[in-house]
Amino acid sequence: MRISKGALLVVVALLVPFVVEFRTALSWFGIKLTILESLALAGVLVIGLLLWAVWPENGNGGTGTADSS
Amino acid sequence: MATSPPTEVTAMRNAYVDQFPDEARVIKAAFWSSFIALAIGGTLGLVQALHRTDVFRFIQSPDYYTVLTAHGVLLAITFTIFFLVGTFTWAVTTSLDRGVVDVRFTWAWYIMMVIGTVLVAIAIFSGFLESAPSVLGSELNADVLFTFYAPLEAHPIFYIGLVLFVVGSWLAGVDWFRTWLAWRSENPDERIPLPTFMVLTTTLFWYICTFGVALSILVFLLPWSLGITESVNPLLTRTLFWYFGHAVVYFWLMPAYMMWYIMLPKFSGGKLFSDPLARVVFVLFLLLSTPLGIHHQYLDPGIAEGYKFIAMTNTMFLLLPSLLTAFTVVASMEHGARQRGGEGYLGWLKALPWRNPIFTGMALAGLMFAAAGFSGMINAGMNINYLVHNTWWVVGHFHLTVGTAVALTFMAASYWFIPQLTGKELWNRSVALGQVLLWFIGMTFMSNAMHRSGLFGMPRRTAEPQYQGFDFEPAVGTVGEINMQVALGGVILTLSLALFLLNMIMTSIGDDSESIPDNTYAGTLSGAEDSPRILDNLKLWTAIAVVLVIIAYTLPLASIIDAGGLFGPGIEGVRLSTWVDPAVIESLGEVIR
Repeated sequence: MRISKGALLVVVALLVPFVVEFRTALSWFGIKLTILESLALAGVLVIGLLLWAVWPENGNGGTGTADSS
Repeated sequence: MATSPPTEVTAMRNAYVDQFPDEARVIKAAFWSSFIALAIGGTLGLVQALHRTDVFRFIQSPDYYTVLTAHGVLLAITFTIFFLVGTFTWAVTTSLDRGVVDVRFTWAWYIMMVIGTVLVAIAIFSGFLESAPSVLGSELNADVLFTFYAPLEAHPIFYIGLVLFVVGSWLAGVDWFRTWLAWRSENPDERIPLPTFMVLTTTLFWYICTFGVALSILVFLLPWSLGITESVNPLLTRTLFWYFGHAVVYFWLMPAYMMWYIMLPKFSGGKLFSDPLARVVFVLFLLLSTPLGIHHQYLDPGIAEGYKFIAMTNTMFLLLPSLLTAFTVVASMEHGARQRGGEGYLGWLKALPWRNPIFTGMALAGLMFAAAGFSGMINAGMNINYLVHNTWWVVGHFHLTVGTAVALTFMAASYWFIPQLTGKELWNRSVALGQVLLWFIGMTFMSNAMHRSGLFGMPRRTAEPQYQGFDFEPAVGTVGEINMQVALGGVILTLSLALFLLNMIMTSIGDDSESIPDNTYAGTLSGAEDSPRILDNLKLWTAIAVVLVIIAYTLPLASIIDAGGLFGPGIEGVRLSTWVDPAVIESLGEVIR
């Protein structure tokens, strides 16, 4: 894994304010997301994040995380 | 002892309870008092969230104000300050490496605070009774909200309880000063250790700011509620409340700041970046916390715009210590991460101990505090404040400050403190990590919705925010969506609170453990020896703080009293006839004449 499980959990949590605020920010540009669309966006982001996290670094399965506690 | 490397486990346990068993008992009692207040106050928060949003109602709307008062007082006063006195007692004894002068005195102020809390709670919760009992000649009731200024009037027992609580906190300050003076007589040439310095400067501005609320209660509100005086000047009591009311925000916040300065670097795996900078920050809070309360009264008629402008300027100056803190704490975390092998401009973030609930809780609390700072700047600006004044925006703001920066830091710190105070290992670290993350997520939903609804004018402090024949128009989404977001946030926060309390209870009833880390705090990269000695001159900073208060408040108070009288326009003040037959007073007057 590229990051520790703890760090991954924290990043997923940090996505919540990002998605919530992103919906408001997009409306400034005339793009209005429904709640369902926002949830779908959140789902895509979480899946993308998980894939990135578990994908082996440099394609050789090595781990890059320095987290130890 | 105090600044050894982080969290090593030695063969012989050296937790706080092993070093200071007597003090550990008092601190544990203070923390549990704090947790009980958190449990009750937090649950009432859910009741409010569900009622206001019309998701689930099981109380009558008039009772909402009793719930709101209990929620505010129990969380903003009781939870925070009980936790503070425990933390500060830990900080003083740990950093001075000596116990308090007399632990009986420590128990005395703690018990006084408990009695005060019980009296206040009796007065507030009587509001739920069909017919509240009559005590001291009036019905028990205190639906006056956390801000408790006139014209709302509470039962005298509420004010007496508050007085006991505040006097208890004053005596706690005396205890910390006594302990420091005893240490100083044994170490005359030593610099004040940083944690003790933080405690003493915070205590000093607490003395300065509580003078206002003491005056308000003892001279005006208590005599008024007892019928000794006929009326009060509402603007005067409001101003005296806010003289205290904004500084109390920093009083809650300073233990959280202290944790960020002396514990976060340690859990990051490094040292505090700069001891001198930390001292400067706490001196600035001593100087600037009090002379700015009028920024809560931008819409009050009767206070000239010029005074409000001065308050705004002082408030903006107070951003400086917060920005200094953000720099110092993040620099310390980066140092720690690099010690743990972190590399790159942002890659070091991955090396931080995110699986540690103490670290993660405090770090997320700090992050939320940054957001709170931005919304706070909106509140502090005189012109833009008019847009959000008395709306749900303000509630969203302080749920990020006291509700997250303070509360989440305290909960995360409890995962360190309770094992230190009991000698028992934390029951479940994974549950603890989940708990702090849930708090972060729940507060994101709730405070975001509150801020947004404030922007379209939805009022605070009401059970029925929706007016008849009028629809609010949010810029994004619908009012229904926003209400659902608040309710969802409230439910997640309550779940998080339940997990926290479960962890605390299970830890406390667990078995003794030999693997409790040593009681230490972070060392420094740049220590006290690098800071000028004048920073430790508490008399000088206190004198300047008092002068600033005099400059900021003398003319506004004189103006308010001149316009509205001490006890209201045309009111003489003390009504001598309260317990005496008016005919007797009349005949006495005849005799004198």
